[in-house]
Amino acid sequence: MKGQCDMATTAGMEEYETVRARIAGQFTTEKDIPKAIFSDPAIYREELKRIFRGHYWHMVAHRAELPEANSFKTFWLGETPVLLTRGEDETLRAFVNTCTHRGTLLEQRATGCSKEFECPYHRWLFSNKGNFIGGPGRRDFRSDFVAEDYALREFQVDEIAGLIFCSAAPQVGLEEWLGQCAGHVRDVMLDDGRLTLLGYQNAIFNANWKTYFDNDFYHAPLLHMGFRLLSWHGGQGEVRVEEPVGHFSVGYESSPYEDNGFLADPSLVEMKGTDARARVVALRPAYVLTKHLDTISVRFVRPLGVDRTQVTYAFFGHESDSPEYQAHRVRQASNLLGPSGMITIEDAAVFNRQQMTSRDGGMSRFVVGVDRPAAEARQNDENGNTAGWAYYREVMGFDR
Amino acid sequence: MTADIHMRAVSAEAMSAIDGLMGNYVAALDWQDWNGWLGSFADSCHYSVTSRQNAESNLPLCYMIDDCRARIEDRVKFITEVWASTIEPYRTRHVTQRLSVSRMDDRNYRVLSNVVVMFTQNNDPSGVLVTGYYDDVVTVDGGTALFASKTVYIDGTPTRYLAYPL
Repeated sequence: MKGQCDMATTAGMEEYETVRARIAGQFTTEKDIPKAIFSDPAIYREELKRIFRGHYWHMVAHRAELPEANSFKTFWLGETPVLLTRGEDETLRAFVNTCTHRGTLLEQRATGCSKEFECPYHRWLFSNKGNFIGGPGRRDFRSDFVAEDYALREFQVDEIAGLIFCSAAPQVGLEEWLGQCAGHVRDVMLDDGRLTLLGYQNAIFNANWKTYFDNDFYHAPLLHMGFRLLSWHGGQGEVRVEEPVGHFSVGYESSPYEDNGFLADPSLVEMKGTDARARVVALRPAYVLTKHLDTISVRFVRPLGVDRTQVTYAFFGHESDSPEYQAHRVRQASNLLGPSGMITIEDAAVFNRQQMTSRDGGMSRFVVGVDRPAAEARQNDENGNTAGWAYYREVMGFDR
Repeated sequence: MTADIHMRAVSAEAMSAIDGLMGNYVAALDWQDWNGWLGSFADSCHYSVTSRQNAESNLPLCYMIDDCRARIEDRVKFITEVWASTIEPYRTRHVTQRLSVSRMDDRNYRVLSNVVVMFTQNNDPSGVLVTGYYDDVVTVDGGTALFASKTVYIDGTPTRYLAYPL
């Protein structure tokens, strides 16, 4: 069995190396991206290994989704099932959500509350600390059986203001990974991270996960007719580009909506809170957080193949919200900034329409502001994108 | 869903008005007659689209919340004036199945219906956009029926992003 796995891995590496070498000749700068990067299955499979099972920190949950001791949440990190638990000791832990016996998916509920997880196949039992507790017929287990060897495979977990990240093989701590963007992450979490979950909106885009991410956090306001018709101007925000990884964030103050008569009900876009911070934070490899007006949103991403991506938009309020304010947050979140949002719906069309052309042999190019150093990036420059692409070239071996 | 399958004390006239409303509603959506869609709601009205995931977890977020007529008017305005050149358009075919009608008072009826929405983009093969159910309050006045509220519960993730109401 081991031999078969090794052969498969070797074959995969050979296939990737062939593809890498072919594309590398075109992929000589982070400003010009060969579209094959978005459509080649061998690249996608290698990304799962180097990025989703590699050293990146992945934004996977907020504590509000695990509201009490013994809560859990399941999700997928690339194609790896993950079980995230909140122990009685308040420690967050993440495991491969797979029974260590025959590999059955261990927990199939999306969320819940449990101290233990039982595999339905042979009734092996695991604690929410990942330990093997026991299973029927233990006296007949193989002679070299040691319970510790059968604990659930664990990820590193860390959090910032209640926002939870995990990594299979981190090279640096989370704070260092986020760098100067960490401050904007805390801003979105309203500093203390004492958020309440308002709910989810789910969407599946017919786009590679990089096509989704590359076009979700950045675009000139030209795309969004809604912004212009509502006379919204973000102004010149404070832009941060964290090198070498390429996180991007921008912060500015929300300007109050001036009723221009366009909306029959302008109350939808009013800001009723006192926190005027507006933030867009884009964390490599694929995660976006936003605070606009009274909405707080984080977007979890699951690649479903080379050209399909599931995005879960989770929206939050704050524990201190009055019922009236929470209702306003819900109303605004439900209508403005999700996959069907009045402001953001055009994004989805761009994701899909870019992916449609990803097999035409051409290039996707970054042009605007890319000659400026990242430290001088402006809000609608494309050098927020190129910084991340430079890192991607390195991680995926296109720089050699 | 707490389907009351007994159609208690619902007159034939009221039932006819309710069925007429359901037919007009679906036709308005499928022929993209947005003023017709708007016209199926009462002056005081509420329209929302949410997921069973949120509803069953008591999470209030929806895909769409139009909690007054002005909001529904604004949704029509965005579809017809703002998004027309940017979103990927699609045609729909709503198939509904009335499950129950319950009389709430002299004028109002609670109506539960299953709904399957097929969609066709460009001239591609058609697919399922969503499955789910409607939980409606219909106000009947004489032979006329209008939605006082319409809540759409969708069973899972929409096959593509929703641009139009369901």
